[in-house]
Amino acid sequence: MSNLSQRDAFWNRIYELAKEDKNIIIVSADMGAPALDRIRTDLASQFINVGIAEQNAITIAAGLSMTGKKVFVYAIAPFITLRCLEQIRVEGAMMKMPITVVGVGAGFGYEDSGPTHHLTEDIAVMRSMPDVVIHSTSDNVMASAFADMSCKMKVTNYVRLDRLVFPDIYGKDSDFSSGLSVLKEGKDAFILSTGSMTHSALEAAERLKKKNIDIGVVDVYTLPINAPLLLKAIKGVKKLVTLEEHFLPGGFGSAVCEVLADNGLLIPVKRLGLPIEKGYCYQYGGREIIRGFYGVDAEGIDKQITAFLK
Amino acid sequence: MSSLITKLGKKAYQIRKEMLDMCIKAGTGHVTSSLSCIDILVSLYYGNIMRHDPKNPKWEGRDRFILSKGQASPALYTILADLGYFDKKDLEGFAQKGGRFGVHLQYDVPGVEITAGSLGHGLGVAAGIALGAKMNRDLYLTFVLLGDGECYEGSVWETAMFASHNRLNNLIAIVDRNYLCVTDFTENLIRLEPMEEKWLSFGWNVQRIDGHSFDELLCTLNTVRSRRSDMPLMIIADTFKGEGVECITNIPLWHGMAPKGKEAEICRIDLERRYNYE
Repeated sequence: MSNLSQRDAFWNRIYELAKEDKNIIIVSADMGAPALDRIRTDLASQFINVGIAEQNAITIAAGLSMTGKKVFVYAIAPFITLRCLEQIRVEGAMMKMPITVVGVGAGFGYEDSGPTHHLTEDIAVMRSMPDVVIHSTSDNVMASAFADMSCKMKVTNYVRLDRLVFPDIYGKDSDFSSGLSVLKEGKDAFILSTGSMTHSALEAAERLKKKNIDIGVVDVYTLPINAPLLLKAIKGVKKLVTLEEHFLPGGFGSAVCEVLADNGLLIPVKRLGLPIEKGYCYQYGGREIIRGFYGVDAEGIDKQITAFLK
Repeated sequence: MSSLITKLGKKAYQIRKEMLDMCIKAGTGHVTSSLSCIDILVSLYYGNIMRHDPKNPKWEGRDRFILSKGQASPALYTILADLGYFDKKDLEGFAQKGGRFGVHLQYDVPGVEITAGSLGHGLGVAAGIALGAKMNRDLYLTFVLLGDGECYEGSVWETAMFASHNRLNNLIAIVDRNYLCVTDFTENLIRLEPMEEKWLSFGWNVQRIDGHSFDELLCTLNTVRSRRSDMPLMIIADTFKGEGVECITNIPLWHGMAPKGKEAEICRIDLERRYNYE
């Protein structure tokens, strides 16, 4: 599946599921993708285009859900989370509506499009509401599994997908129900990462090995975090690094620190992500350049982790 | 028909009285917003318009009623209690410690479909239900009541386009056109008129009626199930905010509160004087 984007892996699986289940409905805010086009043509009665109207997309989805439909609402991620946030809050969270909000373009996936299309606040915003579960996707196997899991959700579900193509991390039929996976053990420290940054974490761990730093990697893909499992995974670790392509306040690193604080585990933590002082990024030329602006390109990650572990 | 209209008039008085008492006791509740739409709600619930079953609130064949102007929950709660959806005693705890429900609408109260209070949401949910009903080949209707001030919300017009494009003729919207927002009359704030033309241009069938005339309400609502149209219907019901209680009727800033002390007594006297049924 590694030649696909997460978006296509996810919608390919939904296509398969929707063929067998007429109650699966896709509400799209005028989005196109090869896998989605297939749904539009082959399963026309299950595909609703609301136009570029995200607020309406969520309320229509809620209404459809009240008639027994399994609804997937889809748009570019910052728009289908932030533009219609209050609709997600009221029709989704407050009524425990089992709709799935699907956003494409996590982090800097729309690398050439500027900050309007970058998704850099959604984890902070979406995790602040009760009865909303975030699925932060790191590879295509996971994207496909999230399609299956979404059909069974009992509360509002948010799937954040990357737009660019990444290699697979997980083997076929992996189980993602626990919310996090230890991808690599480490003696000196652990990197906890989410989304596409898990690829960066794995690469950093490889590079740091050459500097005799043995650092583990945990991929956290479901929020709220499975706290007991996380605490078990990092038991005995002296230092932690969190890594996200998201502004630091309230983000993934904050969520990890909340788990540590609430459980009395007071170990040094370095949060790597987008420092808010840097502001929004108007630089172009690829994802690594934008990450470099915030100090979380490959070089910046290595430098910051090395300094932290000294 | 005339006996039904007499019956509805009496019921509207009873509901106004109970709603007013409930809000006075609680010291809160959007009394004037509730008063403006009580005749509409009484027509729907007691005028043999909506199909519903108080003994089975989740009956699949029920018509769906979405109260988008969630601030009028006191009116709906009073009616639902009167119909037996829940115990009338629950009204006594309105918006108080240990109470079952508060100022804005709550989805877990029997007979209520959605949580509402933030405006501009209900029409979209109603359109989603109407679309789902068509997909499922269900024949129930979806009614939605909006406030007129709510029509300032852009999301209302996103749904307006969607509903006509998708030919949701099973969607019946009513705007409680009381001409008042919080601080002033709508036509002083930002003009909402011409309302008919706006909805017509968005592809809806439109009827404009007196929202306090049971004659006009029933004439319009009696035919919603057999309409020969594939478009959604918008009923613009001209009303007065505070209708039935003259001392708080049609007054800017008389919003989002209940009368207290001496004012509460004057309100009760005004209501008696207006209906004079007892």
